[in-house]
Amino acid sequence: MTTPAMMYVHDWRAWQPGRRDTSQSRLSVAEKPAGGHVPAMLRRRLTGIGRALCDMLAEIDANADCPLLYASRHGDGERTLEMLNTLAEEVPLSPARFGLSVHNAIPGVYSIGRGNRRTQQAIAASGDEFAALLVEARGYLAQGEPAVIVAFAEQAIPARFAAHFTTPVDTAAVALRVSLTPTDDAWALIPRSLASDDTTEGSPQPSDLIDWLCGTRDELHCHRPRQAWSLVRAD
Amino acid sequence: MTSELEQELKHLIIDTLELEDVTPEDIDPDEPLFVEGLGLDSIDALELGLALQKRYGIKLEADSDETRHHFRNLRTLAALVEERRTA
Repeated sequence: MTTPAMMYVHDWRAWQPGRRDTSQSRLSVAEKPAGGHVPAMLRRRLTGIGRALCDMLAEIDANADCPLLYASRHGDGERTLEMLNTLAEEVPLSPARFGLSVHNAIPGVYSIGRGNRRTQQAIAASGDEFAALLVEARGYLAQGEPAVIVAFAEQAIPARFAAHFTTPVDTAAVALRVSLTPTDDAWALIPRSLASDDTTEGSPQPSDLIDWLCGTRDELHCHRPRQAWSLVRAD
Repeated sequence: MTSELEQELKHLIIDTLELEDVTPEDIDPDEPLFVEGLGLDSIDALELGLALQKRYGIKLEADSDETRHHFRNLRTLAALVEERRTA
């Protein structure tokens, strides 16, 4: 078996409202992201996380010509539950809310707003989103794409659903531009297989990725596949 | 001259369609509401139809020419509500 080609992180942006670590220029902690790159008539349909993602994507894919791989484990849980409640009460659904309840709603609005007609994928992987994103990214890069954007976004679990969930989820979003090409300022993404008895928490969420990108966490662990990733920083 | 009902409909449009950057003064009663003018889209048309049903008890066919006429601008919309409101 040949060793898979190394992947590199060329740029990244992150958003986590209220986070304290504000020294990072690539991190926004704004409570209300502007979404300034999307026309107002489209922007009105985006919640904070959608606006944050559109802002981040405009910065790391300035020409809007990279494929976009987007992942979220829970999607827009609040709106989904609200719609289910509405259905249960036999009240007609809001067409606009319904139209934006699909998992690829944010990439879709971004694509229309920025005129990016490249491939988009929306992934939910039951806690293995980061690993799934890297697998997909590797596929596109192996097919000859010069670079792909990998985005991961999560919102806090809605209060009425929280009892079904043991791990709290932080509202956060992160976007990386990755490729197979090393450059002076790119960070190498180093995989390591985990021992079968390693029981470290293995479902990283976007806020964990931000810790890792900011350097306050050395490795990002995933259960499926049993792998950990570290970054070799250029700066 | 904007009637009271037209003013009410302006607020209904802004609130229902979440037009965060639009004020009632921005909506010209004679300008088209859809595509040109205010620039609303097909999802807005469905949303507005639902709002008219909830607020005034008016039911419309989604794709009829008649509905297209009623949705042309604020004045035609006000005329519709005036004529057909049950609530």
